[in-house]
Amino acid sequence: MIRTGTSIHLSSPLPGRSRLAPGRETLPQSANQCRWMSTKRTRSSSTVDDGSSRGHLPWKRTLRKQRGRGKSAIFSLNASIRPHLSPPFRAERNTKRSRISARLGSDSETTSNERQLNLSVLRFTFGISGLDESYLPRWIGYGFGSLLLLNHFVGSDLANITPAQLRTEVLGLSLAAFSIILPYLGKFLPGAGPGNQVTLPEGNEQLFVMSESLSDTLKENLAWATYVLLRNTNTIAVLISIRGELCIRGYWRTPDDVSKGHVLDWFEEQIQKIGLSDLKDTLYFTQSPDFGFRELLPNGTRSLLVQPLLQVSDQEEYEMGRNEGFVVLFSSMSYAYSDKDRAWIKAVANKFTGRKGRNPPDAVEMYF
Amino acid sequence: MFLSAPTKKTFLPSMEAGIALLRDFLPSDSRRLRLRRRPSPAFPRSIRASSSPLGQYRGPQPKRDLVADWVADNDGFVRSLPIYVGGSSLLAVLFNRTVSGIAPVADASSAQSRADLLTLGLAVTNVLAGLVWLSIRPKPISVVEPLGVECRRIRSDLPESVVSELLWVWESLSTVTCCRSLAIIYDGHCIMQIGMAAKSSANDGEAEDVDANKLMQGSLYQGIINSRAQSYLANLSLYPGRSELPFLPFNTQAVILQPLGDKGVAVIGGDTIRGFTTSDQTWITYIGEKLDAALAKYVNDSSILMQERV
Repeated sequence: MIRTGTSIHLSSPLPGRSRLAPGRETLPQSANQCRWMSTKRTRSSSTVDDGSSRGHLPWKRTLRKQRGRGKSAIFSLNASIRPHLSPPFRAERNTKRSRISARLGSDSETTSNERQLNLSVLRFTFGISGLDESYLPRWIGYGFGSLLLLNHFVGSDLANITPAQLRTEVLGLSLAAFSIILPYLGKFLPGAGPGNQVTLPEGNEQLFVMSESLSDTLKENLAWATYVLLRNTNTIAVLISIRGELCIRGYWRTPDDVSKGHVLDWFEEQIQKIGLSDLKDTLYFTQSPDFGFRELLPNGTRSLLVQPLLQVSDQEEYEMGRNEGFVVLFSSMSYAYSDKDRAWIKAVANKFTGRKGRNPPDAVEMYF
Repeated sequence: MFLSAPTKKTFLPSMEAGIALLRDFLPSDSRRLRLRRRPSPAFPRSIRASSSPLGQYRGPQPKRDLVADWVADNDGFVRSLPIYVGGSSLLAVLFNRTVSGIAPVADASSAQSRADLLTLGLAVTNVLAGLVWLSIRPKPISVVEPLGVECRRIRSDLPESVVSELLWVWESLSTVTCCRSLAIIYDGHCIMQIGMAAKSSANDGEAEDVDANKLMQGSLYQGIINSRAQSYLANLSLYPGRSELPFLPFNTQAVILQPLGDKGVAVIGGDTIRGFTTSDQTWITYIGEKLDAALAKYVNDSSILMQERV
């Protein structure tokens, strides 16, 4: 049962500007701000999310991250949210389709001077949208393997099976087994098929809360950061904590007995239990993290990324084992975050680390 | 990761390795060593200060993903593996037929033939899957070092928050993408020019100035302001509009022009042909919106301030 619940604790408006009414913002300067602060369903977002680019090659880009997310990141205040969201627009798939993805080389094959780009020109597809053809070998493996067994037991004379036939059948069954695991191996290859759509598991409800004691600019930054993380990566829920202040957005599973006002407290309690404030490494769980996070996890989480915000220059704090905050992302897909995704998540997290005074003013050549 | 003398290194027995540490996505450029990350060791160590009793992280640690690591390490082998498997089983089926004295005729009359046909079908599937994997193999494209001078210019009358926002944008772009030059023009002025820039012919050794007015009258700028969409010039040498961006190093390979609302543009130059991926493009779009919001607020504030003064 999906309930929508949102609590937006936005502070009093900036002087001289229009009031920030709950649920709607009307900041006169830019419509952009409305989009990431507001929880209203906005149609206009679909045009910008196109991220349309006009390169000189007329390729059709597959918006693999955008496909499933057109509606999933728009938090609506009305009660009719379908749990499984179909994307509002689909990239057209035809046999001539190119994809671009990059992997900043980190393995032994590529030197640091080379970056790998991938331009796949030919890809087999049935043209049925929503069907992932990279799993075709698996289905063929199951189908042909069962036909082989059928042929062995029903189609042939069981009393007089020749060794030749047995050899063929053994070979066929091992090939079928190999075909079945082929998509699993292919998933790890860079340039693998388009990402799956983000499906919203049942049992979660929407949430958008922020601690009261955050400053305005920080609230805006947090709203933007959570919005961008939810839209642009395969995330269904995000939690950002900066020096104890929380910002929570996405689809969560809070226990029913927790009232709206105490949601923040409940989250803090969970965080305390796990001890996330003492983390120093980035943790990336590609499969379900079973124990430990159990209560905090939204339903159907399959991968998890915890990115601590570290004040690197502060050696003492680092040694003491505390971090300045952390960003936790939950996703309903396994292996949800590629290297590139994680790099961007780290960049977004750096916005909040407060290492602003790194470059002394005299090193910056100011002019005008 | 920092390893300093007083801290103790502990190898967690349950966690051998993992994707826990970010693998180094930074090219080993001295400029980017700011984040100071070493190449990930085989066993990432978690450092626990020897004197911290309470407040340790008590949650789970990720397990090592052996298959993913093996596939990533033996990329070429894994890609061609299905072809070898399919091809050799194809030959094996034919060989089997000839050895057992059955004529190699492809009909479905006997059980043997049916089994052979099914096996052949599986072999062909494998070969095709291998071919698809080979076709999506990443192609290495080398980086072209931009020729020019480093520059770092920010308008001096910007408030601290805007400056830190701009610097954050530069840090993110230069770290994560192949961006090497960044110029931000807003409200008729160039407010930031950072990274590599073309050497100016006028003052020796200095970076070329950004002529904001000239840029704003050019076709590139007009085009993106009208369409309000990002423009990705993936291979800059093919574009005649190249001449409108004289402040970028002449061998800049790719450029993204991101409109900031309807008042400005961010010019992002990269060092690899088609170096910006689709995900980079979408991220840059969102960053552009954020930047537009911050700058618009600043412009509004300052114009209101000027009005109040007058």
